[in-house]
Formats: sequence, C-alpha cells, structure tokens
Amino acid sequence: MKTLPFVKKPSLGTIGSAVVLSSILLTACAVAPVAPPGAAEARAELNALQSNPDMVRHARVELRDAEEAVRLAEQPLDDDEAALAEHRVYMADRMVAIAAAKAATRKAEAAREQLSEEREEARLASRTREVDQARAEARRARQAAEEATEMSARETAELQQQIEELQAKTTDRGLVLTLGDVLFASGSAELQSGDNRNLEKLVTFLNEYPERDVLIEGHTDNVGSAAFNQTLSRQRAESVRRYLTERGIQSRRIDVSGIGMERPVASNETATGRQQNRRVEVIIEH
Amino acid sequence: MSFTPIRILTQHSRALVGGLLTALLLSACASAPVAPTESLNNARGAIENAEQAEARQYAPAELEEAQAQLTAAERAVSEERMLEAERLAEQARVSAALAKARTEEAKAAAINRQMERSAEALREEMRRGGDQQ
Repeated sequence: MKTLPFVKKPSLGTIGSAVVLSSILLTACAVAPVAPPGAAEARAELNALQSNPDMVRHARVELRDAEEAVRLAEQPLDDDEAALAEHRVYMADRMVAIAAAKAATRKAEAAREQLSEEREEARLASRTREVDQARAEARRARQAAEEATEMSARETAELQQQIEELQAKTTDRGLVLTLGDVLFASGSAELQSGDNRNLEKLVTFLNEYPERDVLIEGHTDNVGSAAFNQTLSRQRAESVRRYLTERGIQSRRIDVSGIGMERPVASNETATGRQQNRRVEVIIEH
Repeated sequence: MSFTPIRILTQHSRALVGGLLTALLLSACASAPVAPTESLNNARGAIENAEQAEARQYAPAELEEAQAQLTAAERAVSEERMLEAERLAEQARVSAALAKARTEEAKAAAINRQMERSAEALREEMRRGGDQQ
C-alpha cells in the first residue's frame, strides 16, 4: 500500500517528462533525421564559394538562389521520395555550379578593366617612347645638320682666315700667294734661312687641305737675259717646292714653272716696280 | 404561350452544361495528366539561349546533358509520367543554364588571355626597343 501511491498517483512532473520524451521520440520517428545523399557535397561546394569574397561579390544573387536550392535538397525525405531527393540534389548541385561560373565570368570582366588600363598604359608608353625616339632622332639629325653647317661654316671661315694669313688673292686661277723676293739673295735661287713665315703658313694650309694642289711660278724683273731670268725663276720655284716637300707635302701635289720676266706685275722702270716683279707665286688650285 | 419552348430549351442547356462541367472535372481528377508545359518551355528556351551563346563549342557536355534531359522529359510526357517530366524539364533548364554560364566563363577567360598577351606583346616590344637604344 505504501509503495503503490507512486504508481497510482504519478506526480505531475513525471507525467510532463513522459509527454516531452514521447513527443521527442515521435518527432524523431516521423522525420528522418538525415539529409538525402549528395546534399552534403552540394553544401560543401556552396560553403567553399561563400567563403570566397570574390565569389560572393560577383554572384550574390546566384549564391542566394543556390543556398535556397541546397537547403531544399537538405530537407530529409521519406524513403519512398528518393526520386524527389535526387532531383533536389541535382538541382542544387547545378545551381552551385552556375553561381561559380557566373562569379568567374564577372571576375574576369572586372579584371578586364584593369587589363585594359594596363594595355592602354603599355600602348601609351610605347607611343611615348616612339615619339621620344622620333624626337631624339630629329634632334640628332638637326644637330648633325647644324654641326655640318657649323663645320662647313667654320671651315670656310678658317679657310678664309688661312687665305688672309697667307695674304693670298682669290683669282680665277685659284688662290694666288705671292712670296716676295726678300726670300732670295739677289741672283740666287737659294732660300734664305730665317723667318719664312709665309712658307710655314703655306705648309700648314696644304696639310689642312690635302685635296688642294699647288702650282709654283717663279717670276723676275727684266734685268739680265731672258734665258738667265727664265732659269733663275724656275730654280727659285723649285727651291720653294723643295722647301714644301721637305716639310711633308707630297711632290705630286706641286707643279713648278719658271715664267722669267714675261709677266711683270709692275713697271720695270722703277726700283720698286722691279722689286714687285721679282717674285714667286704659289697658285693654290681650286 | 410563346415563351414556353425557350424556357424548356434553357433548362435543357443548363443540364447539359452542368453535366459537361462535371464530366470535365471528373476526368481531370481521374487521370490528372497535365503536361508541365511551362517547365518544358523554360527548358527549351534555356537550351536555345545556351546554343546561341555557342555552348556547343565551349560547354558541349553540359549542353548535351540538357538536351538529353529535355528528350527524356518529352518522352515522359508522352508516357503521361508528368511529375517525372516536370523534374526532367527543370533539370534540362538548369543544365542548359550551366552550359551557358560555363560558355560565358570560357569566353571571358579567352578575352582576358588575349588582352594579357597583347599588353605583354607591347611591353616586350618596348623592352626590345629599349635594348636597341
């Protein structure tokens, strides 16, 4: 009798626990607790996409749709609904794949802007370089032209200066440099030693302009016989040639001629005139 | 007097319409083989879109799968397995959508590679040009 009251009159708490327990058990029995096969794989793939910020950014809507499809696929179904379960898993799997492909496409498209900028930069750089090259080339060409002009101007100026220094006259035969008779002792063909500045200048000039040839002409006044004067004038011209060749001027560049007294430049009536006529002319040919 | 035949006719028509309706409803309830027209049309449209996007070239496997599923769905319709037909049509639709998505992905990647190459070619040209100087 004393033990029975528990059986006969169970407390409210015990009844409550039993109800809760049985309801849990009933629920567990009614709903199969496992997701259909394949749903876990779809979930794993979806989770991988969702944890990738690039994918989330580029396929937000598609991922949401895929999430919905995966959740549906995860719904436990009765054994007799295996075909539906399989269908849902298939759909979920495809939706996840679509989200991945779309995200990749949009990512590529976004990267394209960057690529396009890079290409534009490269193109620009290349063009800039081309322009720079063209400019540099133009500058070089201009400099070369300027240098050439400068050179020829300088050469002309130098030549002019040399000519001036030689005190040569420009004639239609060429530059004519007149060496006065002071270089020679009277009646002698020997060059006087000493300061032959004009001849030194001539050597310099001929070294400077190796393409120029010279003709050396000896002239005399009318004192003495024509034959004597002719010989003397030639000998003097040859003395000048010897002077030049001894200083390295090639003899083939030098022609020698004795004119004698045939071409006076002044009157032989006066001493001054005769002195002017006694001369050696160096004609620098064009 | 003159209205009587009309009234009789009306009563007859009412009975007839009611009978027809009942028959229709009954037949609908009895076999219920309504083809999943919308799903089938969606699947066909999706396949067409994929084909237009050149999926045959870029995602042939996905496109073939979609077409096979559509064919199976149409066969299921003819055999009045409408539930199966609807599921197959839906599968065909997503397969075609995947074919299109993968086609676009492949195309986008190809374009990017092309752009990379052309930028690289320019840079290479510059490097060579630079060497010449």
